[in-house]
Amino acid sequence: MRAKSFRDLLKAGDRVAVSNITGREAAKVSVESQKYCGNIVGGWALGKGGEKIEVPGGESIPVYATVEELMKSLPKKKRPNRIVVYSPPPAVYGEVKEIIENGRETVETLYIITEHVSIEVTAKVAHICRDADIDVIGCNTLGMINSLDGVRAGAVGGDRPAESFRPGKAAIISNSGNMVNTMAAYLQSAGVGTAYGISTGKDVLILTPLKDLLDLARDDENVGLVVLYVEPGGLYEKAALEAAAGTGYPKPIVAYVAGQVLEGRDLSLGHAGAVVEGGGTSARAKMELFDGYFGGKPYDPDKRVKKTKALEDSLGRGIRITTLHHLPRAAALICETLGIERDFEPARRLRLNPWFVDMKGLAKHLPSRLLVQEGSIPEPYSSQVALIARETLGGRPPRRDMRNASHASSNDGETARIYGRPVEEEMGRGSFAETLLLAWTGERPGQRDAELVEKCLIASITNGPGTISAQGAKLSASAGNMPNTAMIASLAAMGTVHGGNGKRGVEYLLRTFRDTGLADPCDRAHGIDLDMLARENVRRFSVAREAAKEAGAEYERVPCLGHPVFRDKEVNYDPRERVIAGYMEENGLYNVFLDYYHRLAAEMKEAGIARNVWAVNLDGAIAAVVLGICWKPLREKRMTIQRASDIAFLLFALGRAAGGAAEFLDHQDHGSPMDMRIPVDECSALTKPREDEEADR
Amino acid sequence: MPAQITELTFIEKLAGRFNLPVPEHVTADASAVEIRDALKRWGDRALVKPDVLSGKRGKAGAVREVTDAVEAQREMKRVMGVEVGGRLPRTSYMVQYIESEFEAYTAVTYDSRHLGPVLTVSLSGGMDIEEAGEDGKARVPVDVYRGLDAYQAGEILEKLGCPKKLVSAFSRSLVDLWDMFISTGMRMCEVNPWRAGPDGKPYACDFKAVFDESNFKFKNLGFELPEYPASETAFEEEMAEWNASSHQGQAHVAELGGGTILPILFGGGASTIIIETLLQNGGSPMFLSDFGGNPPYERMYGTASICFRHKLGEAGLVLILGGKANNTLIDVTFQAIADALRAYVDEHGPVRTPFVIGRGGPRLVQGMLAMKDTLDALGLPYVIFGPDTAVTLVAEYAARLAKACREGGGAG
Repeated sequence: MRAKSFRDLLKAGDRVAVSNITGREAAKVSVESQKYCGNIVGGWALGKGGEKIEVPGGESIPVYATVEELMKSLPKKKRPNRIVVYSPPPAVYGEVKEIIENGRETVETLYIITEHVSIEVTAKVAHICRDADIDVIGCNTLGMINSLDGVRAGAVGGDRPAESFRPGKAAIISNSGNMVNTMAAYLQSAGVGTAYGISTGKDVLILTPLKDLLDLARDDENVGLVVLYVEPGGLYEKAALEAAAGTGYPKPIVAYVAGQVLEGRDLSLGHAGAVVEGGGTSARAKMELFDGYFGGKPYDPDKRVKKTKALEDSLGRGIRITTLHHLPRAAALICETLGIERDFEPARRLRLNPWFVDMKGLAKHLPSRLLVQEGSIPEPYSSQVALIARETLGGRPPRRDMRNASHASSNDGETARIYGRPVEEEMGRGSFAETLLLAWTGERPGQRDAELVEKCLIASITNGPGTISAQGAKLSASAGNMPNTAMIASLAAMGTVHGGNGKRGVEYLLRTFRDTGLADPCDRAHGIDLDMLARENVRRFSVAREAAKEAGAEYERVPCLGHPVFRDKEVNYDPRERVIAGYMEENGLYNVFLDYYHRLAAEMKEAGIARNVWAVNLDGAIAAVVLGICWKPLREKRMTIQRASDIAFLLFALGRAAGGAAEFLDHQDHGSPMDMRIPVDECSALTKPREDEEADR
Repeated sequence: MPAQITELTFIEKLAGRFNLPVPEHVTADASAVEIRDALKRWGDRALVKPDVLSGKRGKAGAVREVTDAVEAQREMKRVMGVEVGGRLPRTSYMVQYIESEFEAYTAVTYDSRHLGPVLTVSLSGGMDIEEAGEDGKARVPVDVYRGLDAYQAGEILEKLGCPKKLVSAFSRSLVDLWDMFISTGMRMCEVNPWRAGPDGKPYACDFKAVFDESNFKFKNLGFELPEYPASETAFEEEMAEWNASSHQGQAHVAELGGGTILPILFGGGASTIIIETLLQNGGSPMFLSDFGGNPPYERMYGTASICFRHKLGEAGLVLILGGKANNTLIDVTFQAIADALRAYVDEHGPVRTPFVIGRGGPRLVQGMLAMKDTLDALGLPYVIFGPDTAVTLVAEYAARLAKACREGGGAG
């Protein structure tokens, strides 16, 4: 090997470059690595040259088209000496050849993360890298971490490397990438930190065999203990232990051999499994090899041990553990027996620490020893739980690449679908509002909900030609625009004040009801004291309004109350809202939000904020209807809050865009070009002509 | 089950292409006249074999020597229906018996000690290679670029004491064997035994090969691998098909037969350890699984849906467990599992199965709370652990809980 000690594989000051860096996984991992240690000098991806990968709070990573361009563009001092290969399997061989051709002078180590590289290509990579004096970790590795220097190449440690990898004296060598992370975390319970963690890869050919890695650990002064996770397949352990026994390996090893369950079952678990190489490749054979090398029985936590010379000799070579959570205790035994100093105060002992427990009715059928109680959630998770738990409503769907994907629609070449339901089937049902709700919520609504939405849509079509959205369409017609532009003009004339009130109404209602434990907004027996809720909100509003008035500042109005037209009676109503309320009443329906809004309006009058009882306007009715439909999916976190409030806006906007189209058609037929222009003599000048300019002229 | 072939496919599809001498053969669909003529041509001595994917030589005693046509026909029909090592044959065939004093074993494999291909030759053919002593066996690394040449092959054979009159022809066959191995993307091929024919040529008298499915040469093999009667369950078959449909994330399962714990496990390493811990503690997992590798939402949703559809009805406990992920996004995977569970309940009605969950990794809390919300909404009992509890401790607990549920009848 080129490396002479573990640290030679990765250390502070190394420059890392990443192939295919714009790939899904490579980009994500590179950003995390850059945040952790900032050692990535660049990456390359065909067709992506010139792009940058942004790193929040860190230096962005330049992307080049090829490794050749990367090597030529970077100053000599910044050229990479470690390469992380994320290229797809068919590209790996060509990529490695290019790396060797262009990086022969600087590149010392390749970490090939790619899975499913053929064995033939792997053998060829081994061959050409050996000739080029480049060490290869992989294929199918997860990379390596040097926690003493706080650097990594690849993904070891996930998005929180520092959490599992506290600096210390262990070198973890694992066939499984996940186990590097897991074992480092367990070791903390013994007060043992990790110097290096390396995922060897788990393909048929492991290009840096265990024997070489043990040699690197032996010759690295930072390593005091070697921890191994071993799977069946290959003769790597046999070769390593024969060499270790022959030369008197000086550092203790803790080994866990997995995979006995696979024996005799003709099964594999994604890992490559055994090659036909005779004995020594099965889990059982490997266990025997380790036990033979250690010269003692596997670690038994129930066995009391006496410190004898024989024990010291045996533990000087190491011990095998049969269960992974014995790792900290076995490591502690080695440290105590051999007088190895711990790296830090042992962390909490490994034990069952449930974060969330709810056994529901099952609890009464279980013996008490199995009834675990919720333990304490460690930081930073505890704060995150507290933060998210405050959100009683609304889902947080996972983010994904949406360029060519949609939940809302699909088309398999034969059938167009809306949230999986054929459009033809929807056409057969015959209700636009029903399908609209399916398209907007992802769920088929009940018939009554669809009818309420239909009424909201009709009500939204127009409130006369003077409304600014109607004016938008008329202006557009007057300018000679196409119909779609007129609809856009109508939509563009909507905003947070005109049309956006329904959205604000939903947000207001969500703030009001989110902590009430409301289960079903359509159930009159909701158990909430609405008058009290209204009083409390009015009181808060009143305090805020007074304070703002005193300061001469603006204050936030209660949305959806009052209307410029329906305003002069003792108790006012928006007739469109009345239709919706009337429909509910006729059909025995109830909506707690609408009920609340009316009580709120009355309470405003009662508190002296309003001279008369303001109307609950159409926006209020829309907000109440929409939230009534969305409440259950919000509570069950199947829908986002953003979506629920946007639906209220869209409902109005859709109706009004249709109304805008009506204004356009009408204006186009009966009006004249430019007739919306206001004559000069009807416009007022609010500034006087400036004297100095006059003088200049 | 890896992609592999046995003697019959080798004889029919590959031997001719690579000039490898093989005995004559007839297949089970041959007419009585063809069988009679063949036997006559071969000196009334032949072997009837099942075409079955089974490891051991002699196909566990299923190979029969026949000397007349009626017996041959009867045997071909008989062996076709006899399971070998738990597997049903695809068909049967009859091959010419090559009378020979000489027998040899050869294999080309990839070797972990040389990190490249290795040719193994033994002149004690006919027995399993592990049984042949080291003295009579040569293991020679082959340069993956330059391949094997006849001179090298001849040297190996001479060193082993191969009869001089055979060295030349056998060397050529070894070179041809290598050519087949490297040009078809094999990861292992074995001829056992070679027998010398009366013409002085070595004949490949039994064969097996395993392909490397990641090798593009295998994908361009030029023929379809024959289909063997499925030894997989419907669950395994559906999951294998689903797994093959994408390289994003793994979807490996292998049934263990029966069981009460439905394990949705992540990471090859962790999965193995968890299953071992369950078994050590009296737990009874329904299958082995490895669903790691950072699966995207749709992948995980599909995987979980298949698991639930086939197994949730029979499960006494669902165990969702993995180590501390480096890469896999926990919110994505858990949300997908949660959604698949809701969809299952929507379609099949409520379940009462308790869930034990343990995981660590990126975006953990969001993932856990998504799972918790779903389990609460569906009224299912649960215990959820974070990465500060060892996976093996969680597996121990799950095994004991499943056992108690089974004995106490607490969960359906």
